[in-house]
Amino acid sequence: MGSRQITEKSLSMLRSLPRISLGNIRNNPKSKPNPKRGRGQHGGDKHGAGNKGSGQRQNYMRLGYETGNNPFYLRVPQEHYYRGHHLRREYPPLSLHQLQSIIDRDRLDITKPIDIASIIRSGLYNFFPDQKQFGVQLTDEGADFFAAKINIEVQWASEQVIAAIEKNGGVITTAYYDPHSLMLLKNPKKFFESGQAIPRRMIPPPDAIEYYTSAKTRGYLADPEEISKERLRLSQKYGYTLPNIENEPNYNMLSERKDPRQIFYGLEPGWVINLKEKCILKPKDLELLQFYST
Amino acid sequence: MSLCLRSKYLRPNLIGSLFRYSTSQVEAIEQNDQVLVEDEDALAREAEIERKRNVSRLTEAHWNLVNGRRPYVEPKNWSHLTVKYNRKLYGKYGSASGVNPSLCFPTRNEIQEKMEYEAVAYPFTIKQMMETAAKNRKEQEEKIQQRDRDVAAKYAKLDQWKKDLLDKIAKKTAEVNAAKEKKERLVEEVRRHFGFKLDPRDERFQEMLAKREKEQKKLEKQARKEAKEKVMLAKLQQKNVEISDLKK
Repeated sequence: MGSRQITEKSLSMLRSLPRISLGNIRNNPKSKPNPKRGRGQHGGDKHGAGNKGSGQRQNYMRLGYETGNNPFYLRVPQEHYYRGHHLRREYPPLSLHQLQSIIDRDRLDITKPIDIASIIRSGLYNFFPDQKQFGVQLTDEGADFFAAKINIEVQWASEQVIAAIEKNGGVITTAYYDPHSLMLLKNPKKFFESGQAIPRRMIPPPDAIEYYTSAKTRGYLADPEEISKERLRLSQKYGYTLPNIENEPNYNMLSERKDPRQIFYGLEPGWVINLKEKCILKPKDLELLQFYST
Repeated sequence: MSLCLRSKYLRPNLIGSLFRYSTSQVEAIEQNDQVLVEDEDALAREAEIERKRNVSRLTEAHWNLVNGRRPYVEPKNWSHLTVKYNRKLYGKYGSASGVNPSLCFPTRNEIQEKMEYEAVAYPFTIKQMMETAAKNRKEQEEKIQQRDRDVAAKYAKLDQWKKDLLDKIAKKTAEVNAAKEKKERLVEEVRRHFGFKLDPRDERFQEMLAKREKEQKKLEKQARKEAKEKVMLAKLQQKNVEISDLKK
C-alpha cells in the first residue's frame, strides 16, 4: 500500500465521518482535574499539593509575612497624612472640559438648572455615595475654553472654576447633600418606586459648615448679597467684565435655586411620587407638613 | 383569591361539558335566557382561550409579574405584610395594587423617632456651627500671629545673642591658652633646672614642679601686693596734690 492509497483511504474515512459539532466533541483527556481526591496506597500520594512545606500541609502563612524578615508593609514608616482617611469626605472630580463635552454632545439640558441628578443622567459621570463620596467636584481643567452659560449646582468647586463659569454669565452654587439624599439623586426612579415620601436634605456636618456658608465658595447657605459682592470681586481679580444676569432672557432659570432642605428640583420634601400613574401625592396632615417644613 | 380562581377554572369545564353533551335544546334554552348570560358565556370562553394560549408554564405569580401586575394578592410570606413591601407595591403598580397610599407617609411614631434621631445626630443648628467655626478660625489665626510676634521679638535680639556667645567662647579659649602657657613655662623651667630631659611623671620632677608652682604663687602674690601698694601710693599722692591745690 503506497502512501497515496493511505491518504486516500484516510480521506474517504474522514468524509464518511459526521461533521464536527458541539454534540460530538469532548474535552482533551486529563484537561479537567479530577474533582475527587484519590485514596489508597498510590492513588492519594500528594493530591496535587506539592512536596513538603506549607504548600503540602496547606497551612499558609498570613498575608504579608516574610518568614522572619521585617515585612514590607511594616518596613516603611507610617504616613500620617492618611490619618482619618476612612472618615473624610471624597468628591470625585469632573473637569470643566468633561462638562463642556457632555454639553456639546447634548446629553445635558442647559436650559434648565443642572444638578448632580442631571449630570448622572447624562451617563458620563458616576459616583458611589456608600463609599464616602459626597458628590461632584468641578475641576479647572479646560477652564480656558469653557463656554457654556449654565446654572449649575455642584458639591465642591475651586476659585478658578467659579471664575470660569461666571465669566460666561453662568451661575454656580456649592451645595451639601447627605449620603441618603445623594442615593436618591443618583437613582431617583428606584426611590420613587419604593413608594416613600421624599425626605428632607440634612444639614452639613460641622467641619463642612465653613465651606457651605461662605460666599467666596458660593455656598448654598451663604447670604445672596454677599455672593453678588464676591462675584464682582472675583471678576476684578481675574480681570473679566461680569455679565449682568438680570437682563438675561433666561434670568428665571439662572436665578433658580433649591431650598436647603430640598433634594430634587421642583419636588418638595414630603411628597410621594408615583411613576406608574404619573401623579404626586402631597401630605395634608398638619403634623406631616410641620415635620417636612422644618 | 383561591375561591375566585376555582370558580374561574370550574366554569369553562362546566361549559365544555355542556357543549360536549349539548343538543339543540340547550341552545334553545340559552337563546331564551337573558343577554347577560350570553355575555358571561362569551367572557368565559375568552378566559378559556386565554388559558389555553398561555403555554408559558409560568407560575401565576410570575405570569402576573410579566404582565405588569402585582404577583399575588394574598400574602405568601410575613414580609408581604410589612409596610415597606406595601409601599413598594404602591410605588410600582399604583392604585391598581390596591394599597392605601396613605401608607406611604410616615406615621406619628415614625416622625417622633426620626426627630429624636435627628436631635442626636445633628445636635447643633447651622448658626451655632457657624459661630463655633468662626471662633475656631479666629483662635487659630491668633495662635499663628502670636507665634509670629514671638519669633520677630527673638529675631531682633539675635545679633546681640550671637555677639555674646562669640565673646564668651573667645574669653574661654583665651583663658585656656593662658593656663596652658603657664604650665608649659613651669615645666620648661623645671627641665632647665635639672639640665636634662626628665619624664614629667618622675617623682623628682613632680616635687620640683610643686615647688616652682609655690614660688610662682608667691611671686604672683607679691606682685599683687606691690600693685596694690602702688595704687594706694598713687591715690595718696593724688590726695596730697588735691590738698595742696586747695591750700593754694
